[in-house]
Amino acid sequence: MPRWLRSGRVIVGLLIVLAVLSCALFAPLLAPHDPDEQDLLATLLPAAWQAGGDPAHLLGTDGLGRDVLSRLMFGARVAMTVALVASFGAMAVGSVLAYVAGYLGGWADWLIGRAVDVWMSFPPVILSLILMTGLGTGASNVILAIVLVDWTRFCRVLRSEVLVVARRDYVAAARLVGFSHWRTVTREIVPATIPLLVTLLTLEMGIAVVVEAILSFVGLGVKSSQIAWGQMIADGREAIYQAPWNLLAPVAAIFITVAGFNMLGDGLRRSLDVRMVEGRE
Amino acid sequence: MILLATLGRRLLVAVPILLVVSVLLFVALRVLPVDPAAMSMPPNATRDEIEGARRQMGLDRPLPEQYAIWLGHAVHGDFGRSIHLRRDVLPLIGQTLPGTIELAVCAMVVASVLGLAGGLLLFSLRGRAAEAVAETGTTLLMSIPEFLWALLFIFVFGVLLQAMPFTGRLDPGLERPVVTGFLLLDALLVGRVDVFRSAAVHLLLPAVALGLAFAPPIMRVLRSSLLDVYHEDYIRQARLRGVSETRILLRHALKNAILPTLTLMGVQFGFLFGGSLLVEVIYSYPGMGNLMVDAVRNADLPIIQLVGLTYCVVVLLINSLVDGLYLVLNPRLRKR
Repeated sequence: MPRWLRSGRVIVGLLIVLAVLSCALFAPLLAPHDPDEQDLLATLLPAAWQAGGDPAHLLGTDGLGRDVLSRLMFGARVAMTVALVASFGAMAVGSVLAYVAGYLGGWADWLIGRAVDVWMSFPPVILSLILMTGLGTGASNVILAIVLVDWTRFCRVLRSEVLVVARRDYVAAARLVGFSHWRTVTREIVPATIPLLVTLLTLEMGIAVVVEAILSFVGLGVKSSQIAWGQMIADGREAIYQAPWNLLAPVAAIFITVAGFNMLGDGLRRSLDVRMVEGRE
Repeated sequence: MILLATLGRRLLVAVPILLVVSVLLFVALRVLPVDPAAMSMPPNATRDEIEGARRQMGLDRPLPEQYAIWLGHAVHGDFGRSIHLRRDVLPLIGQTLPGTIELAVCAMVVASVLGLAGGLLLFSLRGRAAEAVAETGTTLLMSIPEFLWALLFIFVFGVLLQAMPFTGRLDPGLERPVVTGFLLLDALLVGRVDVFRSAAVHLLLPAVALGLAFAPPIMRVLRSSLLDVYHEDYIRQARLRGVSETRILLRHALKNAILPTLTLMGVQFGFLFGGSLLVEVIYSYPGMGNLMVDAVRNADLPIIQLVGLTYCVVVLLINSLVDGLYLVLNPRLRKR
């Protein structure tokens, strides 16, 4: 068994992420109801175990009589899609720039460093709101906005790691043997930074889930026809007195998913022994 | 002196950054699919009227020219008029920024106190069985962003216990004193204890929700830098001299371990300032965040532009201040 799989955090995190992922993938099979099916005679039902609950709707129904549990499962689809695609996108952009900056140095490093400075002067929430204003709603635009905001997280941390690795003797040896720059970077430097990349990627997935929820909550996320946790929270807030599970269920879903990614990332960071800048968002 | 010099140098660097930021904002907002001119007109406006409004707003000119015009007005303190609210934008910022700063500063106090106390606690658990539990606890804490705390607090303290108000800044019926714009301060200045109490109670939930989300990273960094510092010789020396453990921790170790923590807290404050937006929306707190979200919903470009810029200015100011403070506290970094 590989070393990283022996960590308790990694296993717990992985199990949580896989569970949410299965909910997303198999939502049509698992969900007890059609998530868009309205039942105007059974709106704002409380959870099944509360007084007045209906066993057919485990977590109750929303203001239009739609089943909360089913919507939660379908909401996982948007959350997981955005989490996976956006974090890979942010990693791709950020890490390529980090390798260029860290390996080439000079003006390329200066230029990329200043770009990071400019980006970092925006609070991430503000920048993503502005981008969504420009891009318009929709899942693919949410992904694009996250990539455009969060590439700096990868670039900043990875660049300093590349600077360290590029000064190692075996990298100099590779150059002396006659490796081209391209081959030195791809064969010698990139593999040395993979553990850090994996850790950052996992943590970014948790961040992406939160950002998507925030944008959908404000009404600037996915299209309103799509089911998203952030939208469920916005709707649930209106019904907080009558049917609190409308609000609590998506809040819990976000927490569990993010906790899964964070446990996984934390466990990987420890077991892969990566020095990493602590920080959130 | 050093603080001022660094501050000055950093602020000079901030000017070109702000210029680039303003260009980016301009471009990002002009690729908008909606037409702000059409949105500002009544629904029965003719095509010609909308075209006229576009021309009047300068939206028919090429982008660089639009930017140059905007910048020319901006350096004279004219940031345009809100399309939706039909008012000058700058006073709107003046009215909402103090509220947001008040919220962010209070939240930062909460985050710092909890972060530093939590970091010391985590550190004191080192090597014990409880350490693993505490570490998993911080990982879980880090998984709750500010807007989830805000919603949970409303549910628990507002709805279940009905103990705390959770909308606005004051009880309805109380008149808001306006001196500086900072409500807590103003209430004290005019000597209204009832207003001060109402404002403080209204601020408590949002500030704690926002602060809680940013405390865990501070805990972690303080703990790990304390762990690093304890490997240093001077700690062993102090121990050999018979200095008590508490004194070693508070007088010797903490002084050095606080430096990386301070850097992180500066970065955190920037994020926290942005995070205040959601907390404001959730608590209907009249600040810059709500102004921004309303502007975004109405595609009110002049407001979005200036609010975005204001957030950047604040973040850059905080960063410069933290850098200056860092130099003051860490003499090793000073150049001759």
